[in-house]
Amino acid sequence: MTVASDLSLTEEANLKQKQHGKNLDRFLKNIGLGLVISGAIAAAGFFFTPYAPNAPDFLNRLSPPSSEHWFGTDQLGRDVATRLLYGGVWSVGLAFLITLIGAITGTLVGLAAGHFGRFADITLMRMTDSFFAFPELVAAVTIAGVLGPSTANMVLALILVGWMKFARLVRGLSIDLAHRDFITQAKLNDLPSWLILWRHILPNIGASLLVLWTNSWSRSILSISGLSFLGFGVQPPNAEWGAMLLSGKAYLQTAPHLMIFPGLAILVTVLTINLMGDQLRDLVDSRSTISE
Amino acid sequence: MTDFASRLVSAVLATGRRLSGLVCVLLGISFITFTMTYFAPGDKAAAIAHARYPDAQGFPPEILDGIRQEFYLNEPFFVQFFQWLWRFVQGDFGNSFASNVPVLEIFLANITETLALTASSLAIGLVAAFCLSAISVWKPGSLADRFAVALASIGAAMPNYWLGLLLILLFAVELNWLPSYGTGTPAHIVLPALTLAFWIMASQTRLLRTFFLEAKSAPYIETLRLRGVSEREIFWRHIQRHAAVPALTMIGLDVASLLEGTIIVELTFARGGIGSLLAGAVLSRDYPLILFLVMFFALVYVLINSLIELFQDALDPRKSLELLSNTDVGDEVRS
Repeated sequence: MTVASDLSLTEEANLKQKQHGKNLDRFLKNIGLGLVISGAIAAAGFFFTPYAPNAPDFLNRLSPPSSEHWFGTDQLGRDVATRLLYGGVWSVGLAFLITLIGAITGTLVGLAAGHFGRFADITLMRMTDSFFAFPELVAAVTIAGVLGPSTANMVLALILVGWMKFARLVRGLSIDLAHRDFITQAKLNDLPSWLILWRHILPNIGASLLVLWTNSWSRSILSISGLSFLGFGVQPPNAEWGAMLLSGKAYLQTAPHLMIFPGLAILVTVLTINLMGDQLRDLVDSRSTISE
Repeated sequence: MTDFASRLVSAVLATGRRLSGLVCVLLGISFITFTMTYFAPGDKAAAIAHARYPDAQGFPPEILDGIRQEFYLNEPFFVQFFQWLWRFVQGDFGNSFASNVPVLEIFLANITETLALTASSLAIGLVAAFCLSAISVWKPGSLADRFAVALASIGAAMPNYWLGLLLILLFAVELNWLPSYGTGTPAHIVLPALTLAFWIMASQTRLLRTFFLEAKSAPYIETLRLRGVSEREIFWRHIQRHAAVPALTMIGLDVASLLEGTIIVELTFARGGIGSLLAGAVLSRDYPLILFLVMFFALVYVLINSLIELFQDALDPRKSLELLSNTDVGDEVRS
């Protein structure tokens, strides 16, 4: 290859990277704006709502949506809109926490499998395969049920079954990276392996991790509300979306608004996070060069 | 001849590696399953005694001690584990704590309902997914395409217990066409099957659409088109076959998740089946039944995964070469 074509190739790569950087900037700004707006709406809700999430009002039981109670009231006269707001903290926040811990655990396992020799690799990946064989819900129902239904046990169960995807992804990517020139160079320069992992491997797999993490965040919201709907998760009177659906199920005929609004909240939230993840994945896929 | 011999040796080696990996994973699965119930609170000896003598009020310590001896409950963790595993491998799954009936009998009485639900929802979902994705790749970017993609996105975000409730509200409460809860008549299966089918439809439409589009952009399709082969023939004879291998892989994985989905749907519609059996067993702490059911779910998953791999190897000649360097069980299947 001649020097000239080599140069033009790098220029093209630079250009691509710049373009990609611009896209990413715009995307992050959009996400940031979206988060700020939805956060502001939620905060304004907390501030302006005149009702407490667990305060009963027996004169207004099961009243349909009105100007006073936008989404109606439930069987104890509690305001559904207020409970939805507070429930979001449970569903979205807990899912955030669970997937964060899962991502960190999985990343550590994956890095260890990819970098500490064949024995560690085989042992850790067999372990990952074994955990993978348990359908998330089966394991979560069993653990949460055997230990006793409570929020803490559900969180424990979902963390236990949520880290394997990250381990597989990180292991695969870091093994791919290990043969790159800049890693070899770092090894030749006697850099300690934790420094190589921290400074050269992690930054290069970060984007893919982020995509997977968004994906499991939304799945985790579905799992949490599903488990709560089955009675194995967040317990009443706490306002979790799945738990609200469970208590609304009994009033299906007389007050359908009790089950429509919590379900809608789950659907819209999960859909939003999924779309965000899709966009993020397209961005990551379009990136062709690796930053060193 | 030597070529054949070396191929044979490599195939045997690869199979051996696979099998040893499979055995490791099976051991790991049983270990995790056993550990989940081992650390559960409560006196297991008393639970077994209750199952055996349902009418007795209290139990003398001799009986409890006898039970502990019989089930190795005083032994250390690993002895208990291997005792359980040995019995399990021999086909002795124990009796239910709640009813003292063999676990296998309870399981066989319930599995048919789950299988009927799984099969019918899979059939409905796959047909719908095939139609939607075929329409959608006919003219990518068209209104129909966008509709299919939007439907698939909504389906992926839809909590299936909520969809179940909505269907009950519409078809059972408002229109009064179909029964809402329970089992019995064939009409009882319609709403649960539709609920699960919607999810299958969503995930498969998305994947099939991608596979079809990939197949459509393959160079040989363009060649066929230039040679004057009609679009219809290209779709039915070439694109379809091209997309069949990845599609079958993903359908296999969906079957595994479908079994998981039956838990929520069976409970939402108050149906019988192994999903509601598991939930009931967990709530009543019926450990032999829990152990058996969890092992069942995990084994089905491993089995399906292994079958998919075999199937891929058989269909794709490139894979048999890769086998030699590949040491993982199902790494690329589920990413």
